[in-house]
Amino acid sequence: MRLSELLHSRVVDAAGNDVGRVHDVRLVQDGPLVGTFGAAFRVEGLIVGPAIAGARLGYRRSGMTGPFLLAAPLRRLHRRVKFVPWDRVAELGRDTISISGSADDLDEPEPLPTA
Amino acid sequence: MSEHVGRAGRAGRLRRLDAGLSLLDRQILDRDGRLSGKVDDLELTPPEGDGSGPPVVTAILSGPGALARRLRGSVGAWLESVHSRLHPSAEPGPARIPFGVVKEIAATVGLSVRKDDLELSRFEDWTRDHIIGRIPGARHAPE
Amino acid sequence: MKRFVAVTLGILTAIGGFVDIGDLVANAEVGARFGFDLAWVVGVGVIGICVFAEMAGRVAAVSTRPVFDLVRERLGARAALANLLASSFVNFLTLAAEVAGIALALELASSVSYLLWIPFTSLAVWLVIWRVRFETMERIFGLAGLSLVAFAVGFWRLGPDWGSVFHSVSHPVVPSGEGHATYLFYAVSLFGAAMTPYEVFFFSSGAVEERWTTDDLNVNRANVLIGFPLGGILSLSIMGTTALVLLPRGITVDNLAQVALPTVLALGKLGLAFLLIGFFAATFGAALETALSSGYIISQFFGWQWGKMVRPVDAPRFHAVVLVSLVLGAMLVLTSVDPIKVTEYSLVLSALALPLTYFPILVIANDPDYMHGRTNGRVANALGSIFLIIVLVASAAAIPLMIVTKAGQ
Repeated sequence: MRLSELLHSRVVDAAGNDVGRVHDVRLVQDGPLVGTFGAAFRVEGLIVGPAIAGARLGYRRSGMTGPFLLAAPLRRLHRRVKFVPWDRVAELGRDTISISGSADDLDEPEPLPTA
Repeated sequence: MSEHVGRAGRAGRLRRLDAGLSLLDRQILDRDGRLSGKVDDLELTPPEGDGSGPPVVTAILSGPGALARRLRGSVGAWLESVHSRLHPSAEPGPARIPFGVVKEIAATVGLSVRKDDLELSRFEDWTRDHIIGRIPGARHAPE
Repeated sequence: MKRFVAVTLGILTAIGGFVDIGDLVANAEVGARFGFDLAWVVGVGVIGICVFAEMAGRVAAVSTRPVFDLVRERLGARAALANLLASSFVNFLTLAAEVAGIALALELASSVSYLLWIPFTSLAVWLVIWRVRFETMERIFGLAGLSLVAFAVGFWRLGPDWGSVFHSVSHPVVPSGEGHATYLFYAVSLFGAAMTPYEVFFFSSGAVEERWTTDDLNVNRANVLIGFPLGGILSLSIMGTTALVLLPRGITVDNLAQVALPTVLALGKLGLAFLLIGFFAATFGAALETALSSGYIISQFFGWQWGKMVRPVDAPRFHAVVLVSLVLGAMLVLTSVDPIKVTEYSLVLSALALPLTYFPILVIANDPDYMHGRTNGRVANALGSIFLIIVLVASAAAIPLMIVTKAGQ
């Protein structure tokens, strides 16, 4: 499986409601030891949000605040972003990912710091 | 810098990052600091055993073989054909950099091996051997 | 003292390197048709390029990465590829125009047809890229470009009525013989000439080639904030000379000789000599920069080793791209397409492509992960945002205006 197959996929919940699109995949470094790197990264979950452009520009992070013209609308859009833990992923289709349970009981992702 | 935050053992917190923001499309540098392509995709492998549970990131995929799949459309198809034409084997997959040789992830992705030890220097070697290397002065030091 | 010399050299190089074939053609044409009524566009363009060159230089010095390298990290591969294709195309047209410009300058000097000069000039450009040190290359062509100060001297010697010049500059109107659409079309072209995309790609890659660090930031700012406006004055001088001499006689500019004519009238053979050196240096320098830019942006998208800072064998794909671009550019010019027309089209397409270049710079200059505490302050962000809007407006208007006015007829 490749990362690119997960990105931009549509996400629907058990009832068929649209949750959004995969903006990003959160990794956590708690896998088996690999080579000289240390613990491997494992997928912790999916960052899912509205299908907008500019999801990769970096405004999801707390330290990215300018310029106002771009930051204001993009940061507001990012507040609608949700985190889907991997254990709620039920089925990986070609372009659609189904999750268990309802879209309503998803939390926001834990914010990651910038430098 | 964010890559020092949460290294296991430092504060007990595990390191987390978002693959698209912090890994994908990043510049790869080899052990000597030479530019060695970009992270075009990541290989995710289901875990050992029963295969349930979160996939593990096992390799970085780089080069036209990997990029072609991400681009889709006609440009991707063209890249894919270039890649298979330059590749000697019949069923070429994308060039793999096993995650074990990654040394650090910061603004760039640093490796612990030299560029020549990776399989993705094929196109570069061809250009060097057939075109640029043949022009007089190609080995002249820059200063 | 050594510091003072270095800073002065940097400023002088920035002034001399400011003008290229696009500025020569656009400013001369506009002066001959609109007098000083579009002078304000040069002012706006100069402020714009100052704002973005400062940002691009800061990004390169602090993150040690050139802007285009970071475009893919922030826009993603697909958007960055679209950006690459569009920028490469505009770059290619600009390169062809500059290569033709060198040949036209030699044709003016020698009366040998520019087409015969093309193979030699393209080879010369490639040889300089292949063997001459980066800083040396920049210095020589930048300083030689100062010859174009003959335009400013010529303008002064033509004895303009300063009062009416200042009035015309500060109260622009659409002249009675021209339509509003044509006026706006030339405004967009002039703007594209002042803010050409390759300048920023080259500038930020060049900063990495010369290994700028945060210590060099103030020198960078001096070069940009003093050098570029003075370069803008050179552009305005070109416009001024044709406004004073060609406009009253109803002569429009469609070749390089007419660009030189007013200054030659004012300064005679000495003026012509200075202009020929200046034309050659400006176009040759710009050809070097655009050829290198085509290598830079393609290599930086794919992550290939690039730059003159390593041996050519260590950056073979970069050098192959530069070589192929020069060959293709020369071939385009050799089809005997009108080089002035190629220049005009490259300016309109530059204006069209501007948002692709400037939007990523503005975002990246705000990113703390790259900028290590030197993100944009309020002034830079305010100016950057205003200019992003201006650039978007110019880009949106470029093609419709070109169609409506049939490319400025």
